[in-house]
Amino acid sequence: MSRRPFFRRPKSCPFSGENAPKIDYKNVKLLQRFTSERGKIVPSRITAVSAKKQRELATAIKRARNLALMPFIIN
Amino acid sequence: MPLYESVYIARPDISATQVEALTADMTKILEENGGKVTKDEYWGLKSLAYRIKKNRKGHYSLMNIDAPAAALIEMERNMRLHEDVLRYMSIRVEEHEDEPSVMMQSKSSRDDRDRDRGRGNDDDRPKAAASASREDTSAADDKETEE
Repeated sequence: MSRRPFFRRPKSCPFSGENAPKIDYKNVKLLQRFTSERGKIVPSRITAVSAKKQRELATAIKRARNLALMPFIIN
Repeated sequence: MPLYESVYIARPDISATQVEALTADMTKILEENGGKVTKDEYWGLKSLAYRIKKNRKGHYSLMNIDAPAAALIEMERNMRLHEDVLRYMSIRVEEHEDEPSVMMQSKSSRDDRDRDRGRGNDDDRPKAAASASREDTSAADDKETEE
């Protein structure tokens, strides 16, 4: 820690491991945790979602947006 | 036969029974074309995240479908023609979930929350909720001034 000034602890994907939530376009509450204040999808480098799950998540969010369950943009 | 999940949004000015009838119609179309609906859910009148055809709310319905592709295409064609359907989305899924979907669970929990709303807001995004309610009040104000 003293060697590297910007030490970050290893992050783990919130969708891997046991009893991880299933990514579903109907679960708006879950999806909202991965969108910004303005409704944008948060990059995986911030949320620590694995690349595979991030793709799945993006699809789910876009489906929810099309069904007006989530906004495309919040002004 | 492939499995599908189909959600559609109906116009807010029709009643819940009419939405059920609409689901029954669509089920009939599927069955005539050799498919079947394994589960249907009515999520209720929910507010839309943005306006669709000038509507702020809509009746949401979900159908779990086991039908040949041709039957689904026929159902989608009918939804497109139907004036009460604001929007629909059918997706192919690997397997259906038999239990009530998250929507039904959250709907019952929201009813609980409504009852003890005074205790405090446990919403994830209080800001968004506040702005939404502000919009509602402004819309109500507009109506009053019109009358």
